[in-house]
Amino acid sequence: MEVELAQIRVKQGDITSNLEKHIDILSTSSAECVIFPELSLTGYILRDITYDIIKDAETAEEKLAEQGKCAIFGTIREYHPGILRNTAVVLMNGKREYVYKFYPPTYGLFEERRYFQPGDPRKDVKIFKFKDISFGVAICEDVWHSEPVEALSLMGASVIFVPSSSPLRGLSSTLTIEQDWETLLRAHSLMQNVWMIFVNSVGSQDEEYFWGGSMISSPFGKIIVKGKRLEEDRLTFKLNLDEVRRARYFSSFRDHQRDFHAFMSNL
Amino acid sequence: MRIQQVLERLERIDYSSISEYLTLRIKDYIQNAGAKGGILGISGGVDSAVTAYLLSKAVDNFYFLLMPSESTPKEDIQDSLDIITELSAEDKYSFITIDPIVEKFKESVGEDKKVIGNVKARVRMTLLYAFAQKMNYLVIGTGDKSELLLGYFTKYGDGGVDVLPIGDLYKTQVRGLGKFLGVPEKVVGKPSSPALWEGQSAEGELGFGYDLADAVLYLMVEEMKGTEEISAELEINKDLVKKIKDLVISSQHKRLPPEIFRLSSRSINSDWRYPRQWR
Repeated sequence: MEVELAQIRVKQGDITSNLEKHIDILSTSSAECVIFPELSLTGYILRDITYDIIKDAETAEEKLAEQGKCAIFGTIREYHPGILRNTAVVLMNGKREYVYKFYPPTYGLFEERRYFQPGDPRKDVKIFKFKDISFGVAICEDVWHSEPVEALSLMGASVIFVPSSSPLRGLSSTLTIEQDWETLLRAHSLMQNVWMIFVNSVGSQDEEYFWGGSMISSPFGKIIVKGKRLEEDRLTFKLNLDEVRRARYFSSFRDHQRDFHAFMSNL
Repeated sequence: MRIQQVLERLERIDYSSISEYLTLRIKDYIQNAGAKGGILGISGGVDSAVTAYLLSKAVDNFYFLLMPSESTPKEDIQDSLDIITELSAEDKYSFITIDPIVEKFKESVGEDKKVIGNVKARVRMTLLYAFAQKMNYLVIGTGDKSELLLGYFTKYGDGGVDVLPIGDLYKTQVRGLGKFLGVPEKVVGKPSSPALWEGQSAEGELGFGYDLADAVLYLMVEEMKGTEEISAELEINKDLVKKIKDLVISSQHKRLPPEIFRLSSRSINSDWRYPRQWR
């Protein structure tokens, strides 16, 4: 399965322009499936624009579905009237599926719970299959927790796509947030022996600057692909299951102790 | 000594990455605003010099105003002109003496040096916006994080700008960035002063220097330490820490848009919140 990581500059609330960019990339991509960042159709720092753009976002989603190409992109979905969710849309084999964010962050610069309802782990943990590869999608902050990636991996995913909108923090000779992401992705890869595919947006949205730096961690926990920092980039990579197999032969991933989760449900 | 240790922590940043990033952001901001360029007031101090260097790296369309008054030290004017030469901006600046305009204000409001000092800052802001409008440029602010936190600026004067590119860098870091960018040493090391009246210095007016202020502010804001802890760590009097903290608290109104008294069920900035870039 060949995938493209579309590290794009997303314009806040400008769905027309964002849609054009999606269509342009889909029509020029040589990959079998294109992965866009979190909220790639709408922008991330939206505040109350959120309420104003729902209809336009729905229309744009329909247009993207018409493209007929495998894609994962980000939008806002009205789950029930007036109840919105931060959503990744999975377009595949002429079908459309939705993945919701389970941990919409609301601390520091983030205010997602002001607008979005979290996904429900009892209903919304899903994996998909493209040809012979099973994959899951975990949106940005969900990777800062252990459960979503662990659940998807235990369900059988060999690849976890991580559409993200990660703003820059701690810029010096290294970028703290980039190091944090590398650590997180590598840790998930090492523990679950899965491909972790992080696709970040780039560019300014009000005070925040999305730093790009999309990357892939192999099932052995090695960062093997890295996108440009602070500018748009398109990366293509061919995924395989052999590395997942080899990593798992020599790891204890198979030894899942369900009782830990039973125990944790009472904490 | 203890202050120096904190300043070393604060200076553990990479000026090359920061310069690249801020330059990119200035360029982006001007472009996103649909403006043609950026204008700033150049004073001969380190903040405006650093911002001028960044602006000139970010865009071709930049412009500077030199707006001295009778209280502006001669060397500041010369330093500004040197920076202009250094940036090959000989045809990209105007020199406007603001004294005749300020005199008109004196006729109406009297000669109190603080009142007139703030008038000078606001006259400069008015000139910058007049030029900016004429040229379709943005007014690029030069305030740094130390000044912004202490409220050491004139509300709607040097505080009246479109964007603050170095507003997340403490004064000590701005000096470091200045060195990196090649700002002349005499400007980088110059004691800070708004020069709103003759002999004014930031240290004289505030009662402490920026080294101390930066150490206290850094511990307070970045490391979230309390007054007692900061006083112990820096081995300075608690009252001094408290004085800096009080300045930060009492100047919050200068950093925010004016409060709106709520009447309706959707009040601007309270539960009607829109981003800056909004289509």
